[in-house]
Amino acid sequence: MKFLNPKNIQTIVLVAVIVGLLFLALSGYLTPLFNLSLNPLISLQSWLSVRYVSVRNLLASPGNITELREQNANLESQVTQLQTQLIEMEERLGEAQVCFALLDFARTNPQYDYIAATVIGREISPFLQYIIIDKGSEEGVLYGMPVVTQQGLVGRVDAVIAGAARIKLITDSTSVVNIYLQSGDIEAQLQGSLTGDLFLDMIAIGAVVEPGDVVLTSGLGGNYPPNIFVGQVLSTQNRDNALFQTASVQPIVDFKSINAVLIVKNFKAVDISPLIPEQ
Amino acid sequence: MISHLVFSLSFVVVYVLQSTFFSRITLISGTPDLILLLLAAWSLQARAKYCWLWIIISGLIVSVVSAMPFYAPLIAYLGVFGLSKLIQRRVWRIPILAMFIVSFLGSLFQGLVYVLILKINGAPIGWGQSLDAVIIPMVLMNLIFILPMFAIVSDLVGRIYPLEEEV
Repeated sequence: MKFLNPKNIQTIVLVAVIVGLLFLALSGYLTPLFNLSLNPLISLQSWLSVRYVSVRNLLASPGNITELREQNANLESQVTQLQTQLIEMEERLGEAQVCFALLDFARTNPQYDYIAATVIGREISPFLQYIIIDKGSEEGVLYGMPVVTQQGLVGRVDAVIAGAARIKLITDSTSVVNIYLQSGDIEAQLQGSLTGDLFLDMIAIGAVVEPGDVVLTSGLGGNYPPNIFVGQVLSTQNRDNALFQTASVQPIVDFKSINAVLIVKNFKAVDISPLIPEQ
Repeated sequence: MISHLVFSLSFVVVYVLQSTFFSRITLISGTPDLILLLLAAWSLQARAKYCWLWIIISGLIVSVVSAMPFYAPLIAYLGVFGLSKLIQRRVWRIPILAMFIVSFLGSLFQGLVYVLILKINGAPIGWGQSLDAVIIPMVLMNLIFILPMFAIVSDLVGRIYPLEEEV
């Protein structure tokens, strides 16, 4: 009975405990324990993230007073110019408001409720483009909610725990967003990539796409609300014998320095996958 | 017992540093992977016991917190562990050389496993682009952090195992 020596028994017990824990974790019984144990980790992560951003800002800020004075003088002149522009803009705004009312622009831009959240971490694998935020199911964050910033679309909620959530960015290689180009009302698909670049696919061959065209969400597919700003077309590629045109897109959001996001609370993502016929 | 406590604390510290700080340091699209380096350095310590147990636990924890498919980090870390045991037997007299070899081959193995699993899961990524933009930059960035990580882990193991033997 050499097999049943104390060392082997110890190893068997350890393996049995690990397998048991694995089954409990996969069946969801350990979720409260995970939540309980992850909360201090999230706090630590949040604390460290805030300190990192502060130190980065401190190092990035100019330390020279002369330089600061020059910058101040430049900024003052810019303020004067901007005030002049503001007066002109206010005049134009009056005209635009009439146009907006005529076009019923407000109907296509419904007001959303937002949950503000701070970015406390990033996905540890460089193959994926995800961020981690400090708001979770306790604050009402749910799976599938769209995430934006003041500038435009960021992504959608991919996983949620009590005190944190993971956001899949639109730059991720598996992300697909249905969009339309405002200039020509052309529909296409926005896809992410491994390097975080965005490009448009499925543009009809005959469609005229110009650099600078504004890219907005179309709302098709039910994953994102319509008319959220995504970016602008940089360049187009039209290869011979290709069924569709492609185009590269400059996103409006700077995904590398994103520190805070807004989660659209009152938009419910619709899962239409059961309606898609199996191939 | 002390070694388990020290490793778990080291793992938490390295995970937090990785997700808040090191994942923002990019070379093309690659980032350094301190967790892999920690596991490689710990596995190469001749005195460290139950490394395989911590490799499995680390793989499971990373699987839970990462967006990668559940089994991918576990496979990658088990590969690094196997590699470290294989290399340890052959170049055991020069541990730092073993650390360089394990980190280099381990990073390559992890990258290739991740690409393969992502491709199986339907991600539209190419082998060439993955190598150029992520895997090779990741391997190069890992090489920068090998020496500090190996020094810290060797020092930790050198301090805790005499304490455990006393207990």
